[in-house]
Amino acid sequence: MYSIRNKLNFTIIASMIMVLSIAAVFLYVRVAGHVEKVFDDALYDKAQAMISLTELDEEGLEFDFAEDGVMLEFQEHQILQYYQLWENSVELLIKSPSLGETDLPRLGTEPGGHQFADMILPDGRAGRLIEINFMPRVEVEDDVEDPGYGAVIPPAEPITMVFARERETLDDTLFAIGSTIFGVIVIVLLLSGLLIWRLVGSGLSPLSYLAKQVSTIDESNLDARLNHEGDQTMEIAPIENQLNHLLERLQSAFEREKRFSANAAHELRTPLSELKTLAEVARMVPDDRQQVVSFFNDIGEISGQMEKMVATLLELSRSEAGLLRTDPENIELAQYCEEIWQHAINGEGAKKSLLTHIPEGLVIYTDREKLGMILSNLFINAVSYSPDNAEIEITAEIRNDNVVLEVKNASIDLKPEDILHMKDRFWRKQTIQGESGHSGLGLTLVEALAGVMKLDVNLRLDNQQTFMVTISGLSPSVH
Amino acid sequence: MKLLLVEDSERLQRSLSTGLRKHGFTVDQAFDGEQALSYTATNQYDVIVLDLMLPRIDGLTVLSKIRSEGNDCHVLILSANDQTEDRVRGLDLGADDYLVKPFAFNELVSRLGALNRRRSGIKNPVIEIEGVKVDSVARQVVFDDQPVALTPHEYQLLEFLARRRGRVFSHDQLIDQLYDAGSYVTRNAVEAHISSLRKRLHLVGAPRLVKTRRGFGYLVE
Repeated sequence: MYSIRNKLNFTIIASMIMVLSIAAVFLYVRVAGHVEKVFDDALYDKAQAMISLTELDEEGLEFDFAEDGVMLEFQEHQILQYYQLWENSVELLIKSPSLGETDLPRLGTEPGGHQFADMILPDGRAGRLIEINFMPRVEVEDDVEDPGYGAVIPPAEPITMVFARERETLDDTLFAIGSTIFGVIVIVLLLSGLLIWRLVGSGLSPLSYLAKQVSTIDESNLDARLNHEGDQTMEIAPIENQLNHLLERLQSAFEREKRFSANAAHELRTPLSELKTLAEVARMVPDDRQQVVSFFNDIGEISGQMEKMVATLLELSRSEAGLLRTDPENIELAQYCEEIWQHAINGEGAKKSLLTHIPEGLVIYTDREKLGMILSNLFINAVSYSPDNAEIEITAEIRNDNVVLEVKNASIDLKPEDILHMKDRFWRKQTIQGESGHSGLGLTLVEALAGVMKLDVNLRLDNQQTFMVTISGLSPSVH
Repeated sequence: MKLLLVEDSERLQRSLSTGLRKHGFTVDQAFDGEQALSYTATNQYDVIVLDLMLPRIDGLTVLSKIRSEGNDCHVLILSANDQTEDRVRGLDLGADDYLVKPFAFNELVSRLGALNRRRSGIKNPVIEIEGVKVDSVARQVVFDDQPVALTPHEYQLLEFLARRRGRVFSHDQLIDQLYDAGSYVTRNAVEAHISSLRKRLHLVGAPRLVKTRRGFGYLVE
């Protein structure tokens, strides 16, 4: 796991080092090149000055720069600069006293050309030379009164001149330039690094704050919600909102799960408690036959209810695991509804009637067993939760090539908000708890079975307290 | 010991009340919260056994209402909710004990006995008065190592008065404490039980513990 802040800092600083290094090298190369050129130009100018002081006349070659007192930098005691000249690149013409017995190196420059090179001076210091190949200036005497007037001037031969001087000043300048650029770059990098560290930290602070808040959330405080310090940021806002929605859903799921566990525990503990107490108390009254028989009847009822609840839970579990398959067949709807109703009314022992509004001969194509379980649960609920002598209605209509089935009954004490929870497991309206035999799983099972059969189940309560369950998506017969 | 059993399961009501009566408790039965409040408004109970998930008014609301009305009887919550927060909430609202379903019937009886002892201020389950030992756990009376054969009503009467030594109780108070709210009991029945109790104690040579204050009622001194 890596830190975004560290990675950003490292990446930006490394990029800056790279960019600034390239810029520094480029700058140094440019400046150094320019300084070196200025130095070389000075060498060249000096060499040109010396060439201009070289002339050929009737007396031969004259080197005015070599005269005493003209250019003191070539004197022996002035050991800063050196020169040496050759004729036809072979014959030594003259060299500066500063060279003593040594010679300057030759580069082999083409006639009329010049070139520069670094070298080690005779005194051991680093130096730089220019080698120029030139033709000496011929001095023709045009004064007739001059004694040399009309004298023959020897033919001019190409002369190679090497002029050298120390380059310490150049190197010092280049070093100063280099170290200044390096120093500036280092300082800029240090300051930028600090600035980047702070700015990245500041920029990522909403993320850090969010991460800190998220890290404190666990299953014990799912009611916590993420918030932000100061102004909301465009980048964090959607994350924060989505996380808050996720937390809401998670909290709701945890609460549902907790409620389910508590309800499941309650639904199982209560009959267990009844069984246990019945058994213990029955042992206390072994001679009271009537009482013991009544207890056995209770035990039978409890076992039946528990069996029904376990079967329903297993059915739900199979449905959730995707193990339930549909086996459709043609069913004559009105007749089948009547069959299921008779079965339900027997089970509940109620004296209520069913009003059927189903088109005669309507045949649907669906899973008989699952539709039976759905209708049975709806009928039993309708019978249990409607006022005495209420009529239960079942209606079937064909809408958009689908059969829509609706079961409705007058309800007792049902509120609109109850509709939201009616499909929850173990949800029951409190007033009919106790010996009702309802475990609160009926509508949950209806919903699950409808899901397997790809049907929609819709619950409604109108202003007249009529409760309606609509099942849509049933297919009419294939014939 | 008079208790109100508030439980919506009729089967559990039937078995519990049978067993508790067999142990000598006087049991009134309420099947929902409204009924429970109605009973507590008109009767004095030593203990209320209260389920939490009740129709109409839930158990916790019943508990907070009876406490807000100044009723200080002991309340034992009997619930299938086993979470710590449920117990804490119940005890914080003024319950004295909490028992999770399913439970052992004997444990319930013992807890009720313990609550009753706490109420009377006598922690020893065996009360001894002038050599007569009333064992509230064994529900037995012994004098001079001889057991005294008493009916459940006679035992209840003796234990009730023994736990409240020095206090005089009228016929009506004794009827209220020792019989179910639905029972029709006359003053004569109480007098008959007192007379029978005295005779049975006398048979084993025990002193005459239950005294009469003419015009006021009965007491154990």
